[in-house]
Amino acid sequence: MKAATWTGVNEVSVEEVPEPQLLNDHDVILKITQSVTCGSDLHLLGGYIPFMRAGDVLGHEFIGEVVEAGPAVRDRKVGDRVVVAPFAACGNCWYCEQEQYSLCDNGNANPGITEGLWGQSPGGCFGYSHAMGGYAGSHAEYMRVPYADVGTFVVPEGVSDTRALFASDAASTGWMGADLAGTKPGDVVAVWGAGGVGQMAARAAMLLGAEQVVVLDRVPERLQQVREHVGAEAVDYTTTDVLAELRERTGGRGPDVCIEAVGMEAHGTGVAGAYDQVKQQLRLQTDRPTALREAILACRKGGSVFSLGVFAAMVDKFPMGALMNKGLTFRGAQVHAQRYIPELLERMARDELVTEHLATHVLPLSEAPRGYQMFKDKTDGCVRAVFQP
Amino acid sequence: MPLPKIVARAAGLASEAGGTALKQLQHVRIPGVGQASVTDDPRTSARRWRAVTVLTDPDQLRTATPAPLAAFGDRLEVRVSQAPGDRGAELAARFRGPVTEEEIGELRSALREAKQLVEVGEVLRNEPQPHGHRKQTPQGKVLDGVIAQAPKEGVL
Repeated sequence: MKAATWTGVNEVSVEEVPEPQLLNDHDVILKITQSVTCGSDLHLLGGYIPFMRAGDVLGHEFIGEVVEAGPAVRDRKVGDRVVVAPFAACGNCWYCEQEQYSLCDNGNANPGITEGLWGQSPGGCFGYSHAMGGYAGSHAEYMRVPYADVGTFVVPEGVSDTRALFASDAASTGWMGADLAGTKPGDVVAVWGAGGVGQMAARAAMLLGAEQVVVLDRVPERLQQVREHVGAEAVDYTTTDVLAELRERTGGRGPDVCIEAVGMEAHGTGVAGAYDQVKQQLRLQTDRPTALREAILACRKGGSVFSLGVFAAMVDKFPMGALMNKGLTFRGAQVHAQRYIPELLERMARDELVTEHLATHVLPLSEAPRGYQMFKDKTDGCVRAVFQP
Repeated sequence: MPLPKIVARAAGLASEAGGTALKQLQHVRIPGVGQASVTDDPRTSARRWRAVTVLTDPDQLRTATPAPLAAFGDRLEVRVSQAPGDRGAELAARFRGPVTEEEIGELRSALREAKQLVEVGEVLRNEPQPHGHRKQTPQGKVLDGVIAQAPKEGVL
């Protein structure tokens, strides 16, 4: 079958690879209908997460049809149209019971790597390096999904593939950030990053009752999408002083909830931005926390900061003093998608949550290298490139 | 030595280096970058209890030691206790006598498999996976070594 693979730093190829097979009794095989690029893939592409082997199949946000099911699969059957959570979770460990699915104890077959890096191993993520389990990803004609009863969700009739596709990761991650940050009616919420996840975090904050939602980015097309499709305010951080702007918009308090949806390759302006770039390129820090730093400094006293963007290891100049002395609550997580997808699909069916606009480029799988290039360079208005095998 | 043999030998060395590097990662004591479970001297290391928390009734584990641990026979001591709160049972094991690092790695793997068998009913498999052409680069071979060693490494 055809699959889009990582073949080296900033190198994506379409190769002929073997078809997947059922390996565990709880597995299904999906025929992939649509699979989409995610901003976190760019960290893999750029070599910032050095656990990719040449030939690894990319992709973790996808929708497909069940074509084969293992003998222990109870709730899915051949022919089901399903959207899938990016993290493999067993559904039976203590973390899964707490609905912290991306922390599943039994989802990563290579726990030694992440235990070494982080002290404990989170779950495994499809198409996201050997540190996260070494699973083949979804940019392929077929894919194996373990723990299928837990991680796959039947899409309601009337919800299009392209809308449901984003329930997999962008919408569930965004929703999780707004939810676990404690967004409540009347809050002011600021979101760093107007990519798919940032837009969905903003939309979630609005649906959870936030009175004012502001999204920060520098890409005009993305800011326009925020205004047009999300209904939130959009601010170009390259043309204003973000901290002053947010104070001005919040009566001098700062936002109640600050959601960082950028991650380890944040761009910045001025000295701080240049400092982070140089240190990362010299490998004196692994991650660029420019947006995260700003979120912590912007947040009101006693407020909440949530890190949705992916970080790999170490950051520099982390404003611990602000975090502690302002009494902030700081959380982060990979997506507990299984917890949110059912509700998101219901909201999608009611047209409360629309996502089709994120799919700015729908391409055949054979054009995955071009899709990733546009997505990485943010050219031609690309917000997300969707591949159809 | 013929060239193909030299290349194969170099690839083998790179892969071994990857496995060793992963072992060393567990020894690094920079805050936040790994935690050591095997920085003890071999005698202390061998005697340390290694434990997983299993979401099950402790009596189930007391009644029947999971097969991956039972396979070690008398060489292991196994301890089962109630985990605090609603977390299930703490399943711990250690060797009775001197052991090698490789054997400790096998114990880590066995504990993880025991937990999966009790909680899920099967052990997660991840091979074979579809993949494209594996370039035979030094970095790639190092990563191959890391991956091969990963199930037996970690802070457990």
